[in-house]
Amino acid sequence: MNRSLFLGGIPKTVSRRGFLRACAIATAAMGLPMEMVPKVAQAASDPKRPSVVWLHFQECTGCSESLLRASHPDLASLILNLISLDYHETLSAAAGKQAEENLEKAIERGNYVLVVEGGIPLKDGGVYCKIGGKTAVEILKRAAEKAAAIIAIGTCAAYGGVQAAKPNPTGAVGVSEVIKDKPIINVPGCPPNPHNFLSTVLYYLTFKKLPPTDKFGRPLFAYGRKVHDHCERRPHFDEGRFAERFGDVGHRLGFCLYKVGCKGPETYSNCPVIRFNDVEVWPVSVGNGCYGCTEPNFWDTMTPFHKRLPNVKIPGGKGIQASATEIGKAALGVTAAAVAIHAGVGIAKRLATGSKSEE
Amino acid sequence: MAAYEKKYVWSVLLRLFHWTFAPSIFILIVTGLYIHWPWTNTWLEGSHQFTMAVMRWIHFIAGMLFTCAVLARLYLWFFGNKYEKVWDFLPITGRNVKNLISTLLYYAYLTDHHEERLGHNALAGTAYFFTIFLAVLQFISGLYLLYPENGFFVSLGSALFGTQQEARFIHYILNWYFAWFALVHIYIVVWNDIKNPEGLISSIFDGYKFHKKES
Ligand code: HEM
Ligand code: SF4
Repeated sequence: MNRSLFLGGIPKTVSRRGFLRACAIATAAMGLPMEMVPKVAQAASDPKRPSVVWLHFQECTGCSESLLRASHPDLASLILNLISLDYHETLSAAAGKQAEENLEKAIERGNYVLVVEGGIPLKDGGVYCKIGGKTAVEILKRAAEKAAAIIAIGTCAAYGGVQAAKPNPTGAVGVSEVIKDKPIINVPGCPPNPHNFLSTVLYYLTFKKLPPTDKFGRPLFAYGRKVHDHCERRPHFDEGRFAERFGDVGHRLGFCLYKVGCKGPETYSNCPVIRFNDVEVWPVSVGNGCYGCTEPNFWDTMTPFHKRLPNVKIPGGKGIQASATEIGKAALGVTAAAVAIHAGVGIAKRLATGSKSEE
Repeated sequence: MAAYEKKYVWSVLLRLFHWTFAPSIFILIVTGLYIHWPWTNTWLEGSHQFTMAVMRWIHFIAGMLFTCAVLARLYLWFFGNKYEKVWDFLPITGRNVKNLISTLLYYAYLTDHHEERLGHNALAGTAYFFTIFLAVLQFISGLYLLYPENGFFVSLGSALFGTQQEARFIHYILNWYFAWFALVHIYIVVWNDIKNPEGLISSIFDGYKFHKKES
């Protein structure tokens, strides 16, 4: 199989239609008005493409995979056309010494966007992740020196990721723990949505600055809202209808996944809106709760993934409507009894006194 | 000094109706307005907070009690005691029409003369009649909203109100009628209690009113 430059299946050109579609999606994702689409498209078609250096450290390459294997080939091609990817370990044809030289050359030219994928181990002098004899920290510091801006893609690069889970044997951290003097933007997720990466890049190209972020360095346009607030199962949550176990009746009926561990109420991301893989799915839509993968330390704070905190009281127990119906029936019974007693006493009185009771 | 005699006016069932009806209206207005405008937005809605769910739950339970109370009052319209029956206070007899007009003048401070009634005066009675009528509409619209898939409530609700959204609109408008009614009702009751020594407020607790003895 020819894996010479970019992955075989990805065409190098983008159809105009696909190009505008991706620009429109990105513009919408950024929360910009539709009038901005031409501006974004213009920035995206600027022949002066920004140079990008893409580093990999402690990771699974899932972020690159999800980006390039997006079923929509236009998206991957667009990203690859949008930027001049001067260095990317997994995708480059060069290997070994040649690859190292490419990285050096790209760094020498300077003024590139540095994309980091993967966590950076700091413990024991950083020996737990080495490439070409150099530690991840060394490579990152060297590459960050001349970078115009840094994008940390994925939860590993943003906050340390799975290897940073307690007890964090390698001392893994995110980029912002190592580099303090550069603008850094985090696009977390395990993996992050390719559209959010694209939108971040396009934002940078259109406005020549990084988008506004929340306290965890995530672009607000993508991570400003809770998953729970945009979830299509939310009405079931409000109604008190839950899947109690995977595969039970509630699960099959598409009820809320809260009780089987969904972390949507604690997680900030636009997953329910942007969705994945161009087939309009995301974890909750296919019946699995949200794991909270866009949140710092989610391996520690969101586990066990399929459980909730014990003994969380949910009003109504069986569901709001069902429980109200039960109480309603009981109240109706009491009313009927009260009316019956009233009528009974009236009739008895009339029989006793032989006249219509007045009071 | 006029002499007064103690008269039994309000039956146990009527007082039960009143003390189910009044608090349930208060709860329904508070929770209903939250459902209409969930002003806490998402800052209360998190992993262990179910503000909207709790509000709706309370609203529906209070709605059930409200419905039962209204049904009991409807029964008393026809089978209650003399003062509770609907023809005692509706302006459908000459005596009640006269009472209605004199009460209006009296409330407007235009006259001091008014006919003392042991039951409702015709103005209050008319207002209560109207209120119970609207309460029936309110619980039918509420049950229609609550059981949007139940054949009975769907046919009844859509015949009376139209679509779910139209029913919801009417349900919401009526919310303001009940809020207004509660305010005016409490004001007039207190006003009457101050002006007249008939023991109006205590009568809804113990059933007795004080009536001027003809001497
Ligand atoms: C004095 C009596 C009542 C008041 C003041 C009241 C008030 C309200 C208000 C303000 C709303 C919000 C409407 C909107 O969103 O615009 C509401 C919704 C609702 N009410 Fe009531 N209500 C009353 C009685 C009832 C009763 C008797 C029931 C039936 C059991 C009921 C069931 C409902 C339902 C099902 C909703 C819709 C809730 C939802 O969509 O989540 N209400 N009510
Ligand atoms: S499935 Fe998860 S995100 Fe969706 S409503 Fe339930 S708890 Fe919230």
